[in-house]
Amino acid sequence: MRIRRTRHWRREKFLPYLLLAPALVLLAGMIYPFGLGLYYSFTSYWLQYPNRFRFVWFDNYVDLMSEPLFVRALEFTLGFTLAAVVVQVGLGLAVALFLHGRIPGRSVVRALMLLPLMIPPVITALMWKIMMASTNAGILNYMLSFVGVDPINWFGSTQGAVASILIIDTWGNLPFVALILLGGLQALPTEPYEAARVDGAGPAAILRYVTLPLLSPFLVLVVLFRTMDSLRIFDVIYATTMGGPNDATTNLHIMAYQYSFQWYQMGKGMAQAIVLLLLVVIVSYLLMRLWNRASESTS
Amino acid sequence: MTSQAVSWQRTVRNVAIAGAAVLLLVWTVFPFVWILLTSLKSPGDMLSVPPKFVFTPTIDNYAALVIGEQRGQYSSTRPDFPLFFLNSMIISIGAVALSVVAGIPAAYALARFTFPLKNGLAFVLMSFRFVPFIAFVIPLYVLYQQFGLYNTHAGLIFAYQLITLPFTIWMLRSFFMEIPLEIQEAAKIDGCSWLGVLGRVILPLSMPGIAVTVILGFMFSWNAFNYPLMLAGRQTFPVTVGAIQFISYEQVLWGQMAAATIVAALPQLVLSLMVQKYIVRGLTMGAVK
Repeated sequence: MRIRRTRHWRREKFLPYLLLAPALVLLAGMIYPFGLGLYYSFTSYWLQYPNRFRFVWFDNYVDLMSEPLFVRALEFTLGFTLAAVVVQVGLGLAVALFLHGRIPGRSVVRALMLLPLMIPPVITALMWKIMMASTNAGILNYMLSFVGVDPINWFGSTQGAVASILIIDTWGNLPFVALILLGGLQALPTEPYEAARVDGAGPAAILRYVTLPLLSPFLVLVVLFRTMDSLRIFDVIYATTMGGPNDATTNLHIMAYQYSFQWYQMGKGMAQAIVLLLLVVIVSYLLMRLWNRASESTS
Repeated sequence: MTSQAVSWQRTVRNVAIAGAAVLLLVWTVFPFVWILLTSLKSPGDMLSVPPKFVFTPTIDNYAALVIGEQRGQYSSTRPDFPLFFLNSMIISIGAVALSVVAGIPAAYALARFTFPLKNGLAFVLMSFRFVPFIAFVIPLYVLYQQFGLYNTHAGLIFAYQLITLPFTIWMLRSFFMEIPLEIQEAAKIDGCSWLGVLGRVILPLSMPGIAVTVILGFMFSWNAFNYPLMLAGRQTFPVTVGAIQFISYEQVLWGQMAAATIVAALPQLVLSLMVQKYIVRGLTMGAVK
């Protein structure tokens, strides 16, 4: 008995690795393709022409810089992300503050808000595609006609396409922001509020000097998640505009898809994918640092 | 301020609150209502100007989904939706099963042991949540073509691990860490090995957490669109890819597409009400409880 116990303890040093083994095998199965893809990004891999396969060093990356579509796609990726984060976090905060007040039927509203959040984003896009039909047969244009707005060509015009993707993405993700911030609000301590009220602070001052600072870890967290997801948005654009019209809604993700799966230029597509990945990594690193600072300063 | 002015102010406030609540409710729920109505319309009612709220409902669109082919003139549009639904079930259940089997011991290791590279590993797993799918799908597509995994359930189940495995490990880890260490130590003193601690303490106590993780993992698999778009073929399309098959060069089958979106969203609507307390936690991989 005694011997078995000591052996058991000695084995415990290797035990975590044993426990992790199945997951690590699966993980290795994911890292290997990724490494292969990284290698492709330095080659002229074109699926249709296997004979032209050459190692070209950084040619694919250098070529991107002189590709006008790449510059536009990069601009759209960053611009859309900024707009989506500002709109969704702004509205989400408003909804969270609203639901934090004593609203009758709050739990019902809260439960209903989960529905847009959890259905497949591509299904969300298709639902709105039906509602955003360009004539007055589209329910959205019909409703807007009551407030004097002429029928909008949602997916056919540049501004309409950008706006529609922003609206669809916001419908699906506003509940995410609102529910996290609502959870944050409900977990805040009450003492600072009492102190502020004793000092005679009004509602605006309380929001500005008490609520928002205390809420900052949650705010940074939703900004982090929404930024990451907006940078690589794909499903909604694919199902609605496919990057059009005139490449107005082509972001890096759509562009990499087009290069690799419409023209089968795997090398170039992979180089674009790596650029997008680097963008995500850099932005997430900066936001993570911000998050650490925010959670340190409040705790 | 007179008491009359105060009560007047209160009325304005209540009306504003009620208005905002109605607006929020309409914004959230109306798309579902409208798509449900659209899915019950005949082609004639579909395109009427102005849109019809009152019409004779028909189940033709759902019938067309079940029969699996369009009763019209364009023979090229024949999505087989029952098959897509079955595919979604097979792939999602398979992906979650594999993730849970590999994820339980891994989460136990990350929650209860200290070893070198532990935090690095946890971070790598977390980072999968933010990776652009195209960076994986390009090489996977090439490999799958070579090894015969393209357009197979097994290939898709493996590709879905990119979604479900990191999620499962992080979620289970956060549930395992909630179990007080004292219980585990007591079990150890009573002679339990690591396996005994896992089987007799950790797993029974975190059963609700495991159930939540399984349901949420299933839902995330169900929502997946990118991987099957590139790695599945007509025999293995899940509902997400199946639903866009109603858009073709000739036409868009609006009614059937509306019916398809309802069917594709239905399991999610039911499941999300079941696990509503845990959805935020799931979407942030356990970061927000």
